[in-house]
Amino acid sequence: MRSFAAHIPRGPFLAISALALLLAAPLIVVLTAPLHAPAPEWEHVQRALLPHHLRETILLLFGVLSIALVIAIPSAWLVAVHDFPLRGFFRWALVIPLALPTYISAFTYAALLGPTGSFSNSLAASIGIRPDIMNLPGLSMVLALVLFPYIYLPARAAFSRGMATQLDAARMLGAGAQRRLVRVAMPLARPAIAGGALLLAMETLNDFGAVKYFGIRTLTTGIFRSWGGLYDMGSALRLSMVLLGLIALLLWVERRSRRGVRQTTDQAPMKPIPLKGAHAWLATAWCLLVVACAAGLPLGKIISDVVLHSDGTVPGGVLKAFLNTLLVAGLAASFTLAIAVLFAFRERYARRSDLVIRLANMGYAIPGAVIAIGVMALAGFLDRQHIMGTALIGSLGMLTYAFSVRFLAVGTQPLYGNMRQQSPYLDEAARMLGASPWRAFSRITLPLLKPAIGAAAMLVAIDVIKELPLTLILRPFDLHTLSTMTYELASIEQLRDSSWPALLIVICGLFPVLLLERLLARQSR
Amino acid sequence: MRTAAFPFIVLAFMAACSTPDQGTGGDVSERVNVYTHRHYAADEQLFRMFTERTGINVHVIQAGDDELMARMEAEGVRSPCDVFITADAGRLGQAERRGLLQAISSDILMSRIPPQYRDPEGHWYGLTVRARVVAYNRDRVDPDAIRTYADLADPRWKGRLLVRSSENVYNQSLIAAMIAHHGTVATETWARGIVTNMARAPKGGDTDQLLAVGEGIGDLAIVNSYYVGKVLAGNDPQHAKVRASIGVVFPTMDGTGTHVNISGGGVARHAPNRDAAVTLLEFLCSPDAQQTFSEANMEYPVLEGIPVATTLDDLGSFVPDTLGLEALERLNSAAVKLSDAVGWK
Repeated sequence: MRSFAAHIPRGPFLAISALALLLAAPLIVVLTAPLHAPAPEWEHVQRALLPHHLRETILLLFGVLSIALVIAIPSAWLVAVHDFPLRGFFRWALVIPLALPTYISAFTYAALLGPTGSFSNSLAASIGIRPDIMNLPGLSMVLALVLFPYIYLPARAAFSRGMATQLDAARMLGAGAQRRLVRVAMPLARPAIAGGALLLAMETLNDFGAVKYFGIRTLTTGIFRSWGGLYDMGSALRLSMVLLGLIALLLWVERRSRRGVRQTTDQAPMKPIPLKGAHAWLATAWCLLVVACAAGLPLGKIISDVVLHSDGTVPGGVLKAFLNTLLVAGLAASFTLAIAVLFAFRERYARRSDLVIRLANMGYAIPGAVIAIGVMALAGFLDRQHIMGTALIGSLGMLTYAFSVRFLAVGTQPLYGNMRQQSPYLDEAARMLGASPWRAFSRITLPLLKPAIGAAAMLVAIDVIKELPLTLILRPFDLHTLSTMTYELASIEQLRDSSWPALLIVICGLFPVLLLERLLARQSR
Repeated sequence: MRTAAFPFIVLAFMAACSTPDQGTGGDVSERVNVYTHRHYAADEQLFRMFTERTGINVHVIQAGDDELMARMEAEGVRSPCDVFITADAGRLGQAERRGLLQAISSDILMSRIPPQYRDPEGHWYGLTVRARVVAYNRDRVDPDAIRTYADLADPRWKGRLLVRSSENVYNQSLIAAMIAHHGTVATETWARGIVTNMARAPKGGDTDQLLAVGEGIGDLAIVNSYYVGKVLAGNDPQHAKVRASIGVVFPTMDGTGTHVNISGGGVARHAPNRDAAVTLLEFLCSPDAQQTFSEANMEYPVLEGIPVATTLDDLGSFVPDTLGLEALERLNSAAVKLSDAVGWK
């Protein structure tokens, strides 16, 4: 494949690099600011703030990742390679938590199991023990329960496709289920799992609402403490640099994890092995436990709040917010995926991967408010020059652009992953027959990528539906989405009133989640 | 995806980039654009009332105050913002210092709003007042033992005091006010005492501290009067224990008065609808509006002679601290550094 690169005209690649630069620009603006912006309180931040915030960030990251792996891998393995009662239901039910924004989950779990949560109160009254999940281990658990589908989905896809032969061989050689998982499946699925873990880690790092409510100090809360509390934007941006350093480290680990992994061209789907007797019920019990904790508990609480505490009428404006949410999510998903496809094309045919594209992909780990600063700095500059007739800041287009800056990685990662699994011979053959790179890409690679594009678009849509900080500050006048509505109610500590929009966010997010599930199911059939 | 989809996506994006007119050009009807950190039903109700009375439409963006200031800075001369409203005097002072507000002289505003709640040059005007109060368990605490904020550091409260994170702006401005009155050294000793007295590591919001008093996790909590009002006036069964068990005191700063912060607003420097902006601020401190703030949102009015909501009235009256509010802006960063130093999370 590489040998063709030399004959490819550079023009299109340059154009794509320019597009990447456009998407990386807000990040470049904020991340180079520390080089010249004053940071009067940096000495204090470095001494009194950074050590605590860095330590708790790393502990949280470690906690969330390990718990999520423990939840996701066995669930994915069971659903992918075995058959047991209710398997079909668990396949998609395990994806539901993806529809829950982390801050809503955090509020909900805390309302049940926080120091004064309703479960905690009744346990304290009956047996004298008061559980409290509002601490670092508790937050790790809560975030892992919401975010584990990021690992479950790619792991399941990897287990159910492309390793059937190897697993059969291992089985015939007498390897038990556990040994097959640890020695055969895990090494083969490692890149897929690492890719998912990376997204999950980035989500954890940029979280603000849940982390703040639980009283945990992370780099992201440190950024806001420096900015809003110390009135020192410079130090806040330096902390963003530290955050970015952490991401770069994770990206490096993820890339390394792919090293030495061979591409499989074997696309034979797994034929599920039925589990019998106690094993089958154990599998069902495990999945039931996961679904109950990750989806049943928070959803049950939200629904019971809606049923018990509302007067039966949907609060005004919710329907409009629902439509706005769909509009914004649709715009952002199509725009982001159009870009992701172009980047995938470049990744496939260019001689080396583009640093700017890699940089543009880091937006996912940066807190939304920091990205908003970058976007506003750029758009504000253009606005002040009166280049456009209307202002860019406060337009839907600028909001869409900001979402693409933030969620690009969610759009590109599934495409890259899928392309790595595609055999390079197909488009090489097309190229050899004289097709231009774009023609080979659009006629051979793209059709094969279709399910991945659909899946990525759904993931972006889900993220946009849940997104808060960018939407809050960049939205046009009077525009409400479900997440801004929920937040406005939740932040004045009126949790019961926010249950309606919260429920609608979940329902709204369930559409893409279920579509995603269908796309993936079709793919593995 | 068909490659034919690309032009459509690009077109949709271009269309989305053109904003509806934001009032900077020729408008059919009058409008006023508000950037606000406040997100209350009471405010929406007031904006509707304003439109009914004046025919001026109110258009709103609600977001965090730091973000809104960043947006105003980025927009510069083209900012559509007419009125900037936030719930912290420190942020109002900051907006003024960063040149985001213009000085307004209005006889109505000057006569209705007491001088201590507005900028002497007229850059910003306070609209409502909130007090930092102490809610205590009536069975376990003698309210006479809490006369001042300094009393909260007394060793007798060891392991019994509840307060949220110093991330919260009302704790920051309380500490800033303590610094203004007692100096950094004394305040640091005080804050260490507070940390020692904490019943638990800070977590949750003000309502969560009240709930913890209700459940006996601690005996007294430093909270914002407005959350106390909401819990006491509400009917949430989860809050029943709190309503049944708490009392409220208004501690003072060594006799000068109870620490307060304000919600307030100012006219943006580049306001395209300046007159409408002034009219809106004048309306927000009119007797009707002031009463709505109190009744519907449990805040204290700035306008004297307005009856406060019954729930607030039952808490008793208080004398607000006379400290100039500009001190809250000047000392906010010192307050944050101090809480970092003593380990007030």
